[in-house]
Amino acid sequence: MAATSPAPRPDYVGRHLRFGWWSLFVFLLLGATLETLHGFKVGFYLDASNETRRLMWTLAHAHGALLSVVNIGAGLSLRALPDLPGDARVPLISTTLLVATVLLPAGFFAGGVAFYSGDPGVGIALVPVGAACLAIAVFLLARAVTATSRPSNDRAERRRRG
Amino acid sequence: MTRRSPVVGSRFRPPVTAVALLVGAAALGVAAALSLEPIVPEANVEHRPIAVSEDEYVSSATCRACHPSQYATWHRSFHRTMTQVATPESVRADFDGVVVEAVHGRPMRLERRGDEFWAEFDDPGWEGAPSDRPRITRQVVMITGSHHQNIYWYSTGHDRALNVLPGVYLLEEERWTPRNAVVLAPPGRGVAMLDGHWNAICIDCHTTHGKTRFDTPFLSEPIRDQAVDTTVAELGIACEACHGPAAAHVAANRNPLRRYALHAGAEADPTIVEPTRLDPQRSSQVCGQCHSIWEFPDAASERAASAAGLPYRPGDELGATRFVAQPRVNGRSEDMQALIAADPDFVRGSFWPDGLVRVSGREYNGLLDSPCFADATEPERTLSCFSCHTMHKTPEDPRAVAEWADTHQVSAGMNGDAACTGCHDPIAADLPAHTNHAAESAGSRCYNCHMPYTSYGLLQAIRSHTVTSPSVRESVEIGRPNACNLCHLDRTLAWSADHLRRWYAQPAPRLDEDESAVAASILWLLRGDAGQRALTAWSYGWEPAQEVSGTSWMVPYLGELLGDPYDAVRFIAARSLRTVPGFETLQYDFTGNRQDRIDAAVGALRAWRNSAQARARRDPELLFGIDGELDTTAMRRLFDRRDTRPLFLRE
Repeated sequence: MAATSPAPRPDYVGRHLRFGWWSLFVFLLLGATLETLHGFKVGFYLDASNETRRLMWTLAHAHGALLSVVNIGAGLSLRALPDLPGDARVPLISTTLLVATVLLPAGFFAGGVAFYSGDPGVGIALVPVGAACLAIAVFLLARAVTATSRPSNDRAERRRRG
Repeated sequence: MTRRSPVVGSRFRPPVTAVALLVGAAALGVAAALSLEPIVPEANVEHRPIAVSEDEYVSSATCRACHPSQYATWHRSFHRTMTQVATPESVRADFDGVVVEAVHGRPMRLERRGDEFWAEFDDPGWEGAPSDRPRITRQVVMITGSHHQNIYWYSTGHDRALNVLPGVYLLEEERWTPRNAVVLAPPGRGVAMLDGHWNAICIDCHTTHGKTRFDTPFLSEPIRDQAVDTTVAELGIACEACHGPAAAHVAANRNPLRRYALHAGAEADPTIVEPTRLDPQRSSQVCGQCHSIWEFPDAASERAASAAGLPYRPGDELGATRFVAQPRVNGRSEDMQALIAADPDFVRGSFWPDGLVRVSGREYNGLLDSPCFADATEPERTLSCFSCHTMHKTPEDPRAVAEWADTHQVSAGMNGDAACTGCHDPIAADLPAHTNHAAESAGSRCYNCHMPYTSYGLLQAIRSHTVTSPSVRESVEIGRPNACNLCHLDRTLAWSADHLRRWYAQPAPRLDEDESAVAASILWLLRGDAGQRALTAWSYGWEPAQEVSGTSWMVPYLGELLGDPYDAVRFIAARSLRTVPGFETLQYDFTGNRQDRIDAAVGALRAWRNSAQARARRDPELLFGIDGELDTTAMRRLFDRRDTRPLFLRE
């Protein structure tokens, strides 16, 4: 009877490194676009009546760029810690981080496309969803990293007991 | 051999250069902070009225967070800068060692002391012999006006009471002028310069929710014996002046779900007043709380307002807490009679004899007498202030915000015929058929005929805000210049009457010999009262009138007004004369000594006589003979019939 080969594990490291760098590129372009709008004093972006749009798009750029870096960091972390415990729920970490990286900047950006004076448009509703996903991802990854580092602590304990 | 990291095992050496740079930067920062003038909290200011947040008023700074666009356009408006604390940013005049001769009495000396502004001048409160009048030195702490004039207020040194500097700074002309010269007042009659004047009078309409807080009625005893603890919700006309106190609105809308429910729906937020959603009467009263001639109904109301602020809130019925003077409606009322008893010239100084308002800043009075408001039966076809004006420039308005503010905050597109043709659409379909003027000419602009420049204020003519139709009768019986002759300055009343009869079947009034033979504007200039002279002199500089009437004949008449006994009339005449080709550089100081003024007038006349302009027109209506000579005898005869009754316009 042939042994059942385990399902191939998705390449989480490659996924987050690829996603992180490409999204960083996208948000770099967004940043350059915003700087251009500043440079040419485009009223659509800079007028006092568009203050909310300027704030929302700035937040979209900042969150997008930062989360891109977080994705790269997550990819590198997964590579550095290949032996995450079985309950690390890496698929969930990966999915929620990707969802957060999309929803947070998208929510801010959409909130600035159409808005109500000092209130962003309804697209801003994506932001709390994205923020929740990010919180889940960061919490689970932090917990997994902590669990992975415990064995070394156990060894140190054994040495002390001699 | 184990290679060791260059750091591990060696003593850590702090990067000396970086540390030195950090310490240096910190020292510079501390030094810079110490060099700044300490900011005195508003509550600690003792020598002027202060802004406090109370009675549910939260201030525009709070509104800004949620309404940045509305805040931004309001911030650029002259409503905000109606009253300002005197700072290097708000003071437009030069105070740095300047000596101002153009004041009554001895010259005023101005001085900058850091960011403070000081003035030395004759004590206006001196009650002894004029020759013994002492000099006083006071700090200028507040300013009213920022569009045409800066009026400076100094701390009297008694509580928060303010008084006004004897000189006013004219912004366009960039010059000082005596306080009394910027109002249309008889020679020798000054405007009040009393300690506490701002606190007691100006505060009502130049601030938001002002409280006079005199412990006893103003002028009931010497101010040095009174306590004056004046406060305002905000200096200038701020958000809550028109929307009402906003504390409840702010509290309710901290909930984002509530805000988005309001965004999604069409319902107004019940926690705040949106004036444009009120009916035309109530919405116009929001403006009318200041832009009207009003008085407290009784002394008790005034005392209550002194302690707690004016009781009117946007959306209220204005008449419930104010007496709005309307000679046509309440001319015989007890309230009006009381006003007249206190000031016998009150009506004449504010209204034309038929009861229409004649001074600026009181546009609500004009609206009240307009048939488009008073006779309207459908709210959507009723004229209101917001039919033409907007307090917040919309993003769709292509004009720069400064232009919008400078042109009286007229809404986009409403600075033309659209303001009227929205209701009067059949006229718009064939404008020349109604106006009998070319469609693109000034004579086809609704405003020019139905809202002519017959109100006066701020050294200029202002459009009447009573919508009327031109008639010669109003000029003959009332004395108010009619729209036809304010543009056709070189035509007679008979000429206008004939056209109005032929075009609009208006009965021609009975005219005397001069009214039939002499240009109406010349009659108003030579034999009119000071108000008529001021309006007409202004029209002589009005571009549409100059285009249709020509300017070559104007010089002797404007020159005559350079010697007018009223400061304001002289100022306006000189300004109009400088718009006449060849006289742009006229050297003339309307507050200079009499001989200098005469010399300037004679010089202008001589220059005109020596120019081709003098022989350009030979119209008898302009008092020119067939030979082109000016009929000075006729001029003198009309001059001798001048209405010399003293006139003080209460703008």
